[in-house]
Amino acid sequence: MNGPYVQQPGEGQPTPGAQPPTQPPAGHTQQHPPVVPEQQMQAPHTAQQQTAQPSAPAQLPHQQQGAPAPAAPQAPGHPPPGQQTPGQQTPGQQTPEEQLADLTGATTDGLREVDTSNQNLQDGVNRCPRCGATDIQLRASSGMLMCLFCRHEWSEKQFDQNKLGNVPISDLRGTVIGTGAAEIQADVNEIVTMKCSGCGAEVVVNTAEAMSARCHWCRHNLTVNEQIPNGAVPDAVLPFALTRDQAIERIREFTNKRKMFADRTFRKEFRPENVAGVYMPYMVVDANASVDAVGEGEVQTRQYTRKRGDKRETVYDADVYRVERHLDFMTDDLTLESSAERADMNTLVNTNNIINTILPFDTENAVRWNANYLNGFSSEKRDQDVSHLEPVLENQLLSIGRSRLTESIRNYGRGVRWEAERINVRGTRWVSMYLPVWLYSYYHTERGKNMVHYIAVNARTGETMGSIPVSHGRLWIAAITSGTIIEGAAIAALVATL
Amino acid sequence: MNTLLIALATVLPIASSSSDGYLLALLLAGPVGGGVVYWMIYRYYRNTDKTHHFEAETRVETRPATGSDTKVNSIRGTRRRAIPGRNDGDHRTRVRRF
Ligand SMILES: [Zn+2]
Ligand SMILES: [Zn+2]
Repeated sequence: MNGPYVQQPGEGQPTPGAQPPTQPPAGHTQQHPPVVPEQQMQAPHTAQQQTAQPSAPAQLPHQQQGAPAPAAPQAPGHPPPGQQTPGQQTPGQQTPEEQLADLTGATTDGLREVDTSNQNLQDGVNRCPRCGATDIQLRASSGMLMCLFCRHEWSEKQFDQNKLGNVPISDLRGTVIGTGAAEIQADVNEIVTMKCSGCGAEVVVNTAEAMSARCHWCRHNLTVNEQIPNGAVPDAVLPFALTRDQAIERIREFTNKRKMFADRTFRKEFRPENVAGVYMPYMVVDANASVDAVGEGEVQTRQYTRKRGDKRETVYDADVYRVERHLDFMTDDLTLESSAERADMNTLVNTNNIINTILPFDTENAVRWNANYLNGFSSEKRDQDVSHLEPVLENQLLSIGRSRLTESIRNYGRGVRWEAERINVRGTRWVSMYLPVWLYSYYHTERGKNMVHYIAVNARTGETMGSIPVSHGRLWIAAITSGTIIEGAAIAALVATL
Repeated sequence: MNTLLIALATVLPIASSSSDGYLLALLLAGPVGGGVVYWMIYRYYRNTDKTHHFEAETRVETRPATGSDTKVNSIRGTRRRAIPGRNDGDHRTRVRRF
């Protein structure tokens, strides 16, 4: 068989064609498909005629020898616990800021958990660093926390994802997760009782619904900052940066372009002021992976016309190649929905695809958890663990890998048909994160079917997408009117050619 | 105008295939054009086809691809313009896993 083909870095294409003299003697196989400019006419190859069917997939890929077989093929997924890269312990003393690098956390099932909890905060009263008040809120226009009493502004430290595992993505092995992404316990008590340090009273908060509560006696605001294993406290949070007014403006702009065929009731009831700021739960994943793909590709060798009956038709000669490719790659901050409901994007029954479309976020600017970022906003809770999302991740990695192979198969002008593929995930790093979305929801009933239509604004980038219920009556009128015009034009065109 | 072109592009190959095709094309142009208009407006409002383009919008670092290319066949005089079952652009369509 052939030697492996290696693409040089920065090389646009495999540079076949102009074969160097070192090329093995001509036979039925060649190392590279020859370059045949698509439109160029050429004398047909007579020497290489074969009896095989033109398009029959030749062999099964796993029977192939000399494939670019990745060394030590592992089952997709993660190596056993013993196989994790050693030498990543960071001994010695750590400041609270460095605790993200603490890798002494529990190791279970090949997962390595890194404590990401914000040790500077506690459950209960967390005061303004300047005046000691507890009424603290995110100011979206600055992206900072602000004391409502003295207007002092500050912000939590940036969450450095790279500190999880303390290695670059290319050295990632096994599965490293933040404790905020840890497995959700079904039987966890979501009721947290905090002692108010202002007056000593006990304050109860149901973390299924809120992450802060006010003390009835002394009016202090108390917040939950310990990570509860119910998915309510993520590793990091990306604060809102777009104000409500800016979001309303984007939503108005979006709907103004979609007025004429919008449902009449929707138009009448449209109130963009009702937009809600929602922190949506995601897993942000770094991955070190490789993809293998095998299939067949065709290179045109000749194009000519021939007579068939009283008509001429264009036909092609082509060479068929078995194509095998292997690609190592790293992805940074792939973002996956970590709520099962939001991950369901069946556009026949919901419009969750709208919220998916406004990705990506500048997740590298996320900060460490502080429940005060949520004041005045609502949030949805994560209900998916890493194990639930691994198949989703593998699927997206396969798509990314396949898309990045395009460059290496450019010479197959007649295209490639991939027949089999494989993903090998060497290492991953998972962080749970709240991402900020301005969400306008419209509850619409149509022919007895209920659907919530969203208009979503990415509260960092401003990217806006939405679903506007349509007036089918108006759409029909438009369709019939234009159909009639086109029919008329077609008749005119036909008459002109007669 | 775009719609008109799409409708004509759908219908013209039928028209050119035979002389009877002219009549068929004439009959189809209106309904096809109307259907295209309906679908295009619907999609503009409902955006049911939109998703996050994670393939393009994620930071990805790749090593040079490796692999092999082995000639297995030649085809003579096919009318097909591309390999049957071409899927090198459908990155999200999964094929058999091995
Ligand atoms: Zn203050
Ligand atoms: Zn109190």
